[in-house]
Amino acid sequence: MAQSYQLVLKIQRYDPTQKSSWVQEYRLEAGRIQRFTDLFRKINEEQDPSLAWSSSCEHGQCGSCAVVVNGRPVLACELLVENAVNDFGTTTFTVGPITVAPVVRDLVVDLALAYERVHQAKPFLIQPAAKDPGGNEYIVQLKQLDDYADATRCLNCFCCATACITSQKNFLGPNAVMAGVVRVMDPRETATEERLKLIYSEKGVYRCHTSQACSHVCPKEIDVAHYMALAKSGRLKAGQTD
Amino acid sequence: MNQSLKIADTVRCDVLIIGGGGAGLRCAAEILERRPGTSIIAATKVSHVQKSHTTTAQGGVAAVDPRDTSDSNEFHMFDTWKGSDCMADQVVIKQVIDSAWEQILWLENHGMHFSRDENGRLARRTFGGHTINYGKGIAYRVKFEADRTGKGIMDTGWWETLKAGTTYLGQTLATELIIEDGRCLGAVLYEAKKGQFTVVLARATIVTTGGLGQIYQVTSNCRGNTGDGPALALQAGLPVMDLEAVQFHPTGIVGPGILASEALRGEGGILRNKDGEAFMERYAPTNKDLAPRDIVSRAIETEIREGRGVLNPDHNIWHVWIDIRHLPDYVHDVKLPEISGFFKKFVNIDPKKELAPVRPTCHYQMGGIPTDRWGRVQSDQETYVHGLYAIGECAAASLHGFNRLGTNSLLELITMGRIVGEKVVEWLGDSEQGRDLKHPPDPGAKSLERFSAYLEPGGDQKAGQVREEMRALMTEKVGVFRTGEGLSQAIEGLKELKSRADKSPLVQRGLVMNQELMERFELDNLLAVAMIIAQGALERKESRGGHFREDYPVRSDEFNYHTLAWMEEFGEVTWGRRPIDRCLFEEKTCQYVEGFDFIERKY
Repeated sequence: MAQSYQLVLKIQRYDPTQKSSWVQEYRLEAGRIQRFTDLFRKINEEQDPSLAWSSSCEHGQCGSCAVVVNGRPVLACELLVENAVNDFGTTTFTVGPITVAPVVRDLVVDLALAYERVHQAKPFLIQPAAKDPGGNEYIVQLKQLDDYADATRCLNCFCCATACITSQKNFLGPNAVMAGVVRVMDPRETATEERLKLIYSEKGVYRCHTSQACSHVCPKEIDVAHYMALAKSGRLKAGQTD
Repeated sequence: MNQSLKIADTVRCDVLIIGGGGAGLRCAAEILERRPGTSIIAATKVSHVQKSHTTTAQGGVAAVDPRDTSDSNEFHMFDTWKGSDCMADQVVIKQVIDSAWEQILWLENHGMHFSRDENGRLARRTFGGHTINYGKGIAYRVKFEADRTGKGIMDTGWWETLKAGTTYLGQTLATELIIEDGRCLGAVLYEAKKGQFTVVLARATIVTTGGLGQIYQVTSNCRGNTGDGPALALQAGLPVMDLEAVQFHPTGIVGPGILASEALRGEGGILRNKDGEAFMERYAPTNKDLAPRDIVSRAIETEIREGRGVLNPDHNIWHVWIDIRHLPDYVHDVKLPEISGFFKKFVNIDPKKELAPVRPTCHYQMGGIPTDRWGRVQSDQETYVHGLYAIGECAAASLHGFNRLGTNSLLELITMGRIVGEKVVEWLGDSEQGRDLKHPPDPGAKSLERFSAYLEPGGDQKAGQVREEMRALMTEKVGVFRTGEGLSQAIEGLKELKSRADKSPLVQRGLVMNQELMERFELDNLLAVAMIIAQGALERKESRGGHFREDYPVRSDEFNYHTLAWMEEFGEVTWGRRPIDRCLFEEKTCQYVEGFDFIERKY
C-alpha cells in the first residue's frame, strides 16, 4: 500500500471579473487518507491561494462541497485519495463544479438558485392535520415512518440533480421531487392535492427517465429512484406498502 | 484606500440575523409567528441556511416529557447545574428546562421527523450526564431523530422561515456591527457572490454565528466556525464572557475531527499508545477507559507529549489508537454502525481488523457574547445594547457554565431562540426606539478601511501558514492542558502571529467570491478569540469544567464568577466580572435545594 501519491488535478477555473474559464493543472503529493477538500486546501496553502471551492462541515453531513470528479458528482469531503485512485484507476483527476446552478467562481456555484427548486416543492407542512386533542405529538406509526424516513436524510447536495439525465430547465430535479413525496407520505400533511399537482406537473416526476443515476450517485445512499417510482405509480400513502 | 471598495447598497429591514443556524432560524420563526410580515434577513456564511453547523449534531435534545412520572424538570436542572461545574446561571437553566417539552412539541407539530416508539409516540433514550433522583438513576429524557437530530432541527427552522417568508443571504460575512449611542442599528455585510459591501439597517440585530473550533488543529466544528460573533462584539467595544471554557471530546477521529462516540469505550473499546499498551490503566486504575471525558483527554495528551503517540503522516496529527477489534460483530454492525462507518469512510480502515486513530478534538465553546436571560447583549455589568441580541453557541446567557451536558446545546437553540424571538417582537412593537431608526453617519467606514488594508500589498507572509501555526500553538499550549508558563508563551506567540498576519498580501484581488479575502478576515477573528481564550485561561488560576490548569488542578471558590473581557486593541485585554445567578438555590423552591449550591462535580 502506497503511503503517498503523486496526483495531477485538472481543475476547472472561472474568473467572474474577466468572465473567463480555463482548466488549471496542479501537481501535488497527497497522503492516502487525505480527502479532496484537504487537497483543495493544500493547493491554497502551497500553490495557489486564489482557487475558490466550497465546503462547510467536511464530514458528509451538510452537502456543501459537491463537485464533479472525472465525470462523477461526489462530496469532496468524502473522497479519499486512496479510494479515488483505486476507484477511478488513475492519479489524474478532472475536477469541475456541479452543474445545477451558475458558477460564481471556480468550483463555487450559486447554490441559492439551485435551492429555489426545493423551495418550490415546499418541504414544510403546508396544511397540518388536526392536532392531537391532548396537545401532544402527532402519532406516526413506525411502519409509516419507515416508508419515507430514508428520504428525509437528503442533504440537498444536488449530486443527484447533477447526475440526472433530464435537463435542469424542465425538471424540478430528483431531490426537490423527493422533498414533495416525503410530505405526501407524511400522515401529518393534508395538502396532498396541492402536492400531487406539482409532482405531476410539467416540471414534475414524468420528466424522470428512470436512469436511476440519482440513486447511483447519492452520497447518503438514498434510493432516490425508488421515490420517483413510487410517485409515478401513485403508491404514495405511507404504511401501505409491504 | 483601495478605490474599488465602497458601500454599494443600503437595505432596511425589521430584523437582521447574522448566521442562520438552529438558534437564528428558531428565533426568526417565532418572530414571524407572532408578528407575520416582519421583514427578516438571515445572512449566513454557508451557501444556504440548511448547510449550517447545527445540521451536524447527532445525539438528541434533552426534554422531560410531563407524562413521564419517573423524571422531572428539577432533575434535569440539577444535572445541568452540576455538569456546568457550578458556573451556569440558574435563572437561564430554569427557563430553558421549563420550556423544553413545549419546544419539542413545536418541532414535531411543524413537521420534524422524530424517531418513534412502537406506539407511534416520540422515542426516547439515555445520554451521558442525564440522571433521575439527582444522580441516582439513569434518565430516559433525550428525544431524537435517528443520528441526525441537529439536521431535523435545522430543517424545521428552515421550513418554517421559508413558509412565513425570510430572505436568506448565503455566502455573506458580517464585517461590523453598527452601534450608535448604545443602540445597534444593523450591520455591514460583505456579500461574496455579488462582491459588494452592503449596509443593512435593522431595528433588531441578532448574532447567531456559532462556535470557534477552527482555532484548534482538530475540531468537530465546520470550516466557518471561526468565532465571528465574539470577534464582532470585541471589535465594537463589547465584552465577551468565559471564552476560556472550551470543551474537548477525548476521541475525535483523525482527519475530519468528528466524534467517535463514548459508546465505543462503553462497549469495551480500549485506548492504546504506539507500543500497544492499554495506557488508561495507569491513569484511572478502576474505571480505565470509562473514566470521565476530561481525564481521558488528558491521559491521551500525556501519552502524546511523552512520546508514546503516533503521527499520522497525511494530516500531520499526533494521535493514539482505539482498539475495537475484539468486539463481537454484533457490536460493530448493530450497535455502532455509524462509528464503524466513519472509520471506514474517513480513515479507510476496517475497525474489526485494524486499530483506529483518535485524539482529543475541540467540540464546543461554552462562553460567548454575554447576554441576559432574554438574549440582550451586555455592554458592561449594568447596561445592554438596545436592539442587539445573541443566541446559541456564540452567546453565553449562560446555560452551560464551564462544561456543557450532551444534548443541552440543541435544547438551548430551540428554547432560547423562541424566548428571544418573543422579546424581539416586544421590542419591535412597543418600544419607541424599536420603531425609530436613524441613519448612522458614514456606516461601514471601518469595514472598508479594514478590507482595504487586507487588499493592499505589503510584506511577504502567508495568511494560510499563519493560521496553521496558530492552530498548532493553541492545540499545544491552550488546549486540554494549560499552564501559566505555556499560556504566557501562547500570548506572546499570538502577538507575533498577528503582526505576521498583518503582513500577508493577497493574490486574489477580485471582490466576487474572494475566498482568500474571507479567510483573511476570519484569521483576524480567530486570532482575536484565541488571544482572549489564552489570556482568560491565564487569569483563571483554577481548574473548572473545560478549563484545566496543571499548575492549579482544583476548582476554587475564589473564581465563582464569569469572566468578562474587552479587547479593542489586539492583546490589550481589560477584565470584568459577572456574578453567577443562583436563583434556584436562593429562592429555595426546589425539593433538593442543597443540590443547587456550589457542589462537587463528581460522578
